[in-house]
Amino acid sequence: MAFLEIEHLEKSFGATRVVKDFNLSVEKGEFISLLGPSGCGKTTVLRMVAGFEVPTSGNIRIDGKDVVNLKPNQRNIGMVFQAYALFPNLTVAQNVAFGLKVAGVDRAESDKRVTEMLTLIGLPELGNRYPFQLSGGQQQRVALARALAPRPRVLLLDEPLSALDAKIRVSLREEMRAIQQRLGITTIFVTHDQEEALSMSDRVVVMHQGIADQVGTPLDIYNRPATRFVANFVGTLNVMEADVVDPSTGRVKIGGQEITLGRAVPPGKITLGSRPEMISLGARTGRETALKGTITEVHFLGSVIRGRASVGKDVVSFDMFNDTGRAPPKVGEEVSLSVAGQDLLVIGD
Amino acid sequence: MSLYARLTGWIVLIFGLLYFFLPLLGLFEFSLKARRGVYSLDAYTKIIGDAEFQATFGYSVVMALVTIAMGVLLVVPTAFWVRLKMPWARPYVEFITLLPLVIPAIVIVFGYIRLYNTSSWLPMTGTTMGTNLLLAFGYTTLALPYMYRAVDTGLRTIDVATLTEAAQSLGAGWITILSRVILPNVLVAVLSGAFLTFAIVIGEFTLAALLDRPAFGPYLQRIGANKPYEPFALSVIAFAITWVCMGLIQLVTRFSKHTKAAR
Repeated sequence: MAFLEIEHLEKSFGATRVVKDFNLSVEKGEFISLLGPSGCGKTTVLRMVAGFEVPTSGNIRIDGKDVVNLKPNQRNIGMVFQAYALFPNLTVAQNVAFGLKVAGVDRAESDKRVTEMLTLIGLPELGNRYPFQLSGGQQQRVALARALAPRPRVLLLDEPLSALDAKIRVSLREEMRAIQQRLGITTIFVTHDQEEALSMSDRVVVMHQGIADQVGTPLDIYNRPATRFVANFVGTLNVMEADVVDPSTGRVKIGGQEITLGRAVPPGKITLGSRPEMISLGARTGRETALKGTITEVHFLGSVIRGRASVGKDVVSFDMFNDTGRAPPKVGEEVSLSVAGQDLLVIGD
Repeated sequence: MSLYARLTGWIVLIFGLLYFFLPLLGLFEFSLKARRGVYSLDAYTKIIGDAEFQATFGYSVVMALVTIAMGVLLVVPTAFWVRLKMPWARPYVEFITLLPLVIPAIVIVFGYIRLYNTSSWLPMTGTTMGTNLLLAFGYTTLALPYMYRAVDTGLRTIDVATLTEAAQSLGAGWITILSRVILPNVLVAVLSGAFLTFAIVIGEFTLAALLDRPAFGPYLQRIGANKPYEPFALSVIAFAITWVCMGLIQLVTRFSKHTKAAR
């Protein structure tokens, strides 16, 4: 039995069902991300686990015990909020000690735990500061220490990096993951940032319109998206409509050009997907299938140049490394794009 | 800004200050004339030495403190709950808290006397303690518009919902949340409300007189009717108390450490 189990969870606000038959099993010590666009229900699921929202139906079990009827303060769940939510009237040390004081932990033990937590987050010297004297990144570290101090069974992170600037966000997500792994605490992380979800998580749940569209490892989610939504939401994806010529060999026609996928596909019309990095400009070993197209856009992204070419009725994006010895293509240029048939994904609905 | 606009501004400001301070200056000057031909503090000495002044002032101070405690206990949880769980009820609660401004104190006190007289189902006016309690309720009602607005403004400056949820996730119950998270963070606002309440209670006449309680307001009125200089000295004292309260509000706001970020 998994440590945290969510079964057939549903939540409606009036006539609107925001979470529909949501199921998830989380192993002890696992780091799970709920990834999805705004309004997909990911925060609502998190808030139901925390106890801030009451499910319309379904079960939430932690360590085998049903917690649906427990109040938030009875669940022993730590939570970190997007807006930090540090108590402005308390110092950093008092904030971290808050949960311990509420739990009746004695002073000596509490002081020891506060020092331990502040060392863990790398701010041992800031115990006497007030929240307003800290930067956003420091405040969020303190919020993490405060959530971890009472040793919760589950840690919930509600978009904790969204309010921070890009550089801090990257360094803090690495720190958070390292701390989570060191403590081995079961964690659910809500984000709309795919890079955060893919880089931090053991598994990712991609949510769409209240449903878990796909649950899998970051590699699975990226390389083998189960639905069109997942394929589009996670990373950039070229979507091409194809007519199947021979279902048994996977021979299909895209924009009037025939290519072979090298595996059986359903007959009729199918949708194929491909990541920009799976398509090369010109011939390349291992990518024998060639598509003829015309360059429509070229974008310089630093280490990578992203080009777009029209292939029949579709527009295909492709990436090439920024190589000083090779000039990027020009808009209007006729080009040949190569792709490996097995890299093309057949996308379901 | 043009010279003309600046000049006009100064003229308006000086006119306003004179309009406000000249009568006060006259009042203060007259209160010093108890001794013929020279300025003296005789009227103040007499007033402060008067046993009735001490008794009534002491009574009103105690009543003010009780009223403040009742106001805080009533208003802080109400405003917190309305903001957290019942935002739709805010206009109604605001309307109710404004009622004491439009319903005269005399109507409230007659209502009290009619409802709680000695032959009623709850004869509160039958005992001194009951009448004192009734007076405190009345004062709490009169101070409600000021206390509610002050606390509500204070709550507006903090993220009530998130702080509450953060405290809940750390195991805190409602009493802990209110006493250790919400109240300390709206303390400046509560103190503003408290000082305004103090000023209202100290000078209030109608409720105290009609409930026949030995408060400072009726004493002020009695002195005013019977003595020449002392009422003016008393008025200056009453003004001074109000100003001290206002000054304290400013002082508390300025020295409140943790609210610096919010301002």
